[in-house]
Amino acid sequence: MLYLKESFVFVDLEASDSSTVIQKLADSLHVAGMVTADYSAATIDREAVHPTGLPSRPFPIAFPHADADGVERSALAVAILKSPVLFKNMADPDEDLSVELVIMLANKSPEEQIETLRNLAELFGEASKLTELKAMTDTSEIVMWLKKELALDA
Amino acid sequence: MGKLIVVACGAGINTSTVAEVMIRERLDEEGMDDVEVKRILIADIDKYVDRMDLVVCMMKIYREFDVPQLKGMPFLIGTKAEKKEVLDGIIELVKD
Repeated sequence: MLYLKESFVFVDLEASDSSTVIQKLADSLHVAGMVTADYSAATIDREAVHPTGLPSRPFPIAFPHADADGVERSALAVAILKSPVLFKNMADPDEDLSVELVIMLANKSPEEQIETLRNLAELFGEASKLTELKAMTDTSEIVMWLKKELALDA
Repeated sequence: MGKLIVVACGAGINTSTVAEVMIRERLDEEGMDDVEVKRILIADIDKYVDRMDLVVCMMKIYREFDVPQLKGMPFLIGTKAEKKEVLDGIIELVKD
């Protein structure tokens, strides 16, 4: 089971840096009991060592996450950014990417989330889908759309 | 002993799992059951250098190995065609 709720979705999020975005997403998950209070710090720390910016098309995205220790229940949180925020490229930590969409996955067990991970990878590879998602402004619409794209339980 | 493909990433959870599963499925389709796919933390790679035949890295690593090294990024953000292309390359490298 992977939780995705409207309170985990942010549209037009204003943030000055990647840590602010991560904090916002992790806090929304923490409030709902999905992750422990220190999941945001753990994710920010991990991002500094193993960045998760992805040079996807037509715009870069980021996929911040920490290990399973701080995860109570697997969940997904999403931020569509008002203006791009810099994340380092996973494939090359020396490179900055201007990220426009951030998807945080708090994952208790990757083995149990294989289908979701695969579906995410399909989504990340389809420019038209990323464009469609980024243009959405209604959080309930985003939740429904993502549940359908990722084949999540309703 | 069969060949070993190592999929390395920072925390060994999400991104390497995607690659591991896609590689495993393709190997099964090809009937290459004797090839093992192992998802590891990059920090642990020294345990595998002696017996791995191919390494797929989800991130940049600053060292070279005696075996071919492939970038795993297309597994995450590649189109369907690009994902297939990396898998074709992997099959090519481990088939004999």
